Amino acid sequence: METHFKIKVKNGKKYFFRFTVNQRFQHILLAILVIVLVLTGMPLKFPQAFWAHQIYSVFGGIRIAPFVHKTAGTMLVLLFVYHLIYLVYTFYQGQVIPLKKKNELSIGKILKTLISHPIVPNLKDIKDILNLLKYLLFLTNKRPEGAVFTWKEKFDYWGPFWGIAIMGSTGLLMWNKELFTKFLPGELINFALIAHSDEALLAALFLFIWHFYNVHFSTSVFPMDTVFITGYLSEKMMVEEHYEYYKEIMTASGYPHEILPPHGVRKPESEHGAVRDNPVKLTDLPRI
Amino acid sequence: MLTYQTRRSILLLFLLLFGMAFVSAANSESADVGNCLLCHKYPGLSRVDEEGRFRLFYVNEDIFDKSVHTRVKCEDCHTDIKKIPHDTPKKVDCFVQCHIVEPSSEQKFSHKEVAKFLAASVHGEVAKQGNPKKHPEDLPSCKDCHDNPLYRPLSFFKRVRPGISETAMGRCRVCHKKDDFIFRFYNHVTTRLHKIRNPKNIAEVCARCHDDPELVKRHDLSTRAAYSYGETFHGKAAHFLDERIPDCLDCHVKRGESVHQMLSHNDPQSITYKTNKAKICANIECHPKASPKLADYKIHAEFNFEQGTAQYYFKIFFIALTGGVLLPMMGIMFLDVLRRLLPNAGLNRKK
Repeated sequence: METHFKIKVKNGKKYFFRFTVNQRFQHILLAILVIVLVLTGMPLKFPQAFWAHQIYSVFGGIRIAPFVHKTAGTMLVLLFVYHLIYLVYTFYQGQVIPLKKKNELSIGKILKTLISHPIVPNLKDIKDILNLLKYLLFLTNKRPEGAVFTWKEKFDYWGPFWGIAIMGSTGLLMWNKELFTKFLPGELINFALIAHSDEALLAALFLFIWHFYNVHFSTSVFPMDTVFITGYLSEKMMVEEHYEYYKEIMTASGYPHEILPPHGVRKPESEHGAVRDNPVKLTDLPRI
Repeated sequence: MLTYQTRRSILLLFLLLFGMAFVSAANSESADVGNCLLCHKYPGLSRVDEEGRFRLFYVNEDIFDKSVHTRVKCEDCHTDIKKIPHDTPKKVDCFVQCHIVEPSSEQKFSHKEVAKFLAASVHGEVAKQGNPKKHPEDLPSCKDCHDNPLYRPLSFFKRVRPGISETAMGRCRVCHKKDDFIFRFYNHVTTRLHKIRNPKNIAEVCARCHDDPELVKRHDLSTRAAYSYGETFHGKAAHFLDERIPDCLDCHVKRGESVHQMLSHNDPQSITYKTNKAKICANIECHPKASPKLADYKIHAEFNFEQGTAQYYFKIFFIALTGGVLLPMMGIMFLDVLRRLLPNAGLNRKK
């Protein structure tokens, strides 16, 4: 396993480790393939749209674009398989082996670690959503304190996870219809078409509206959050999105006295830029 | 030095030769023996007819010359026109015998045979059992589907492309001396080797009746055929002008028969009958490795309740899922923008 500094200090600013090179590579490949798939797929879903012919022509029209779509789809399925292997491998390395070493290996224990894995949705996510709504409705000034993975990130992870499973399986089914209908009913292709086409629209809208808003268009990150390239998240975003995890990591890394106040809280003695020089202690903060 | 008379006779000879060339050229291009183009060549030739419709009577010679009827004389179809200027002519009867001679039988040509085919087909006015069909006025006659189409020749030289192959023409000229004959023959044969209309156009022709909700209802048809075809990959590829994709006729006409012999999918003789249709999909040019189960794919699915509840609810599930995911998220986004615009507007501001 690669080892990373949890906090990197560069030009006096702190950056927090989020994603390994492997994960970043998987994400960028995923992004490129999804964009190609959307561009070569949507003209078929909406052939009458004014943009359909133009976009399809860019990918070679009806003779070439379906081939591009299938190639990108195959690569995405392969990436998905790679990711599943990666998941099992990292879980085995990170969770199962330590259990083994402690001689505590049992199916119950494995299930327990699996359920409490930070990427698995849990009760805190529901609480965070409710608290976020309170914050967004101006009922409180306190944003929910996010853990290592927030509910948004879990949505962004499990959404495409389910999406690729649906799109990949139905896509392969429609592509190899002669093979699959040797043992499956032909009407299944109708269902595959509905699922593939409708799930595609959901996925595309989800990614290009919701995900792009969160990582590109939101005023905190515009024009983009560079964490998907560098792997490290800025302190400002860390405070805004992952405050619970931020406090934890700051304490563990030996900076407990430099912990910044939560997002949106006014710094009591703050002159501009004074915060970093005079770190605010949590105990000094006004009670909200 | 030539004398004035000699020069004048040479000039006259040239004029004569030129004139002859023009006359023969005109003859080779169209069959306007009756000189109908004398008037009909003018683009503005039009009037409002007795029913109040604006009618254009202009004949574009260039276009007509590339159409399949170019060798047929005007008066062969417009049989009631005997003198110029003429009265309002009758509508053309496609079953009239024209003066073209069909070369294999050496009989005068007529489309009459088609009438027999059409009468026995799903589009015929009398059902197979002998009882007349309801609303015979809705059923198509020739001109509901056909116009005067243009030749669509194919060139076969190294690869197939649209157009005429000069190389092939060169081979024809070895034996056939008349270029006009070669040109027509080439056009006729290669146009007939494929379809005059592309799949999109064919679907549009069928759609005129088969997508008309009133006609679909009146004749108790199970689908808006061209619409549901357009929902399949076949229909979508046709929309993107793919010529290789199957159109309505490729599946609904038995191989070796003509479009005019199409039968209802309820007729056991029909290629679209439930026990026969597997053969369509598994055609050598389409899905040769397909098992009969592939033909159970509902090609005319509209995903509505009447056609099948399972597909309908499956579709509803995805619509609900899309709405259920996107609407709350867009709501959160909207609130998020608002909260960022007004960071200090919290109701619960304890100091």
